[in-house]
Amino acid sequence: MSRLTALAMAAIGTLAVAGCATMNVSSHVERGLDVSRYHTYNWGPADALPAGDPRLEKDPFFQDHLRGAVEKAMAGRGFEWSTADAPDLLLHYHANITERIDVDRLDVQRGYCGESGCDVPTVQFEAGTLVIDVIDARTNRLIWRGWAQSAVQGMLANQDTMARQINEAVARMFGEFPKPL
Amino acid sequence: MRPIARLTVAALAALALTACATTNVRSFVERGIDVQQYRTYSWGPPHEQATGDPRLDNNRFFQERIEAAVEHNLNARGFEKTAGGESDLLIRYYASVEQLVNANGADRAFVPCEDCRPFVFDAGTIVIDLIDARTKRMVWRGWQEGSIDGLIDNQAWMEKRVDESVARILERLPRRVGRVS
Repeated sequence: MSRLTALAMAAIGTLAVAGCATMNVSSHVERGLDVSRYHTYNWGPADALPAGDPRLEKDPFFQDHLRGAVEKAMAGRGFEWSTADAPDLLLHYHANITERIDVDRLDVQRGYCGESGCDVPTVQFEAGTLVIDVIDARTNRLIWRGWAQSAVQGMLANQDTMARQINEAVARMFGEFPKPL
Repeated sequence: MRPIARLTVAALAALALTACATTNVRSFVERGIDVQQYRTYSWGPPHEQATGDPRLDNNRFFQERIEAAVEHNLNARGFEKTAGGESDLLIRYYASVEQLVNANGADRAFVPCEDCRPFVFDAGTIVIDLIDARTKRMVWRGWQEGSIDGLIDNQAWMEKRVDESVARILERLPRRVGRVS
């Protein structure tokens, strides 16, 4: 069966970005969805999911910039932001940061294999996931979910980087939003 | 640079060679329980725990796929879903995602490290429980775990794997003998 082993782990934060700087974007959608029957939207109440990361969720710049980017993307698709009447769609987002590790493949060959196995360099990094949900306000059912995942290292410290990351995430996510049939 | 930390990793022998394709299917049955004595089922209260992956939390595209697959396989086995009211069994399921490291040879002593290719992957687990509705005791549990790298990002692929996983898990339910269903 399995035996316990020890991997020596070099947590080199500054190198982490190299392996994981790319943003991963994808989505799930209701099959056969005709978005042309929806016209207006509003931001819905927060969900009961485990709290996202306070560094993002309590950051007014993150909140404002994200909402702005989403509202721009929705407007670009012909949806109207409606706070007055009952909207057709409710939007909701969730931002989450988790610790992840990656094997530094470039350095593997320089690892040393001794009595207890090899020393394999790994990097630890913080991976952020931004999820945007679009819900049919009448049925209260999720009709589309988009997400973007990337390392958040440079982003938390630098507003310009954060703005760029948000713009890229939202633009690429809504690039997957279904077109009217 | 942060100091080198040591990370203890369970090298999963069963997954070691082809982790990207291999999955484990297992089940438990309560001793002295004849699962065949039960005829009808209904859904028990859903698990509220987070899955460990924000893309799957409250994701009805995932949840409804599992539920449909479970119902399909149980019905094929002669179980009957009750429209409401009492049933013999309550069905619950739980899904989780965690990041694992596969040492892939790096845990073996004195192996040249050109041959060591440790890697990190997302492991997913689906657990399906059958609970006696009267005694509220679990009578059967089946689960599958395996690498799900890239799976959630591809809706069609995810749906296919959910169907396959649920079928393989419920395949392990004890067969009814000599009874036409």
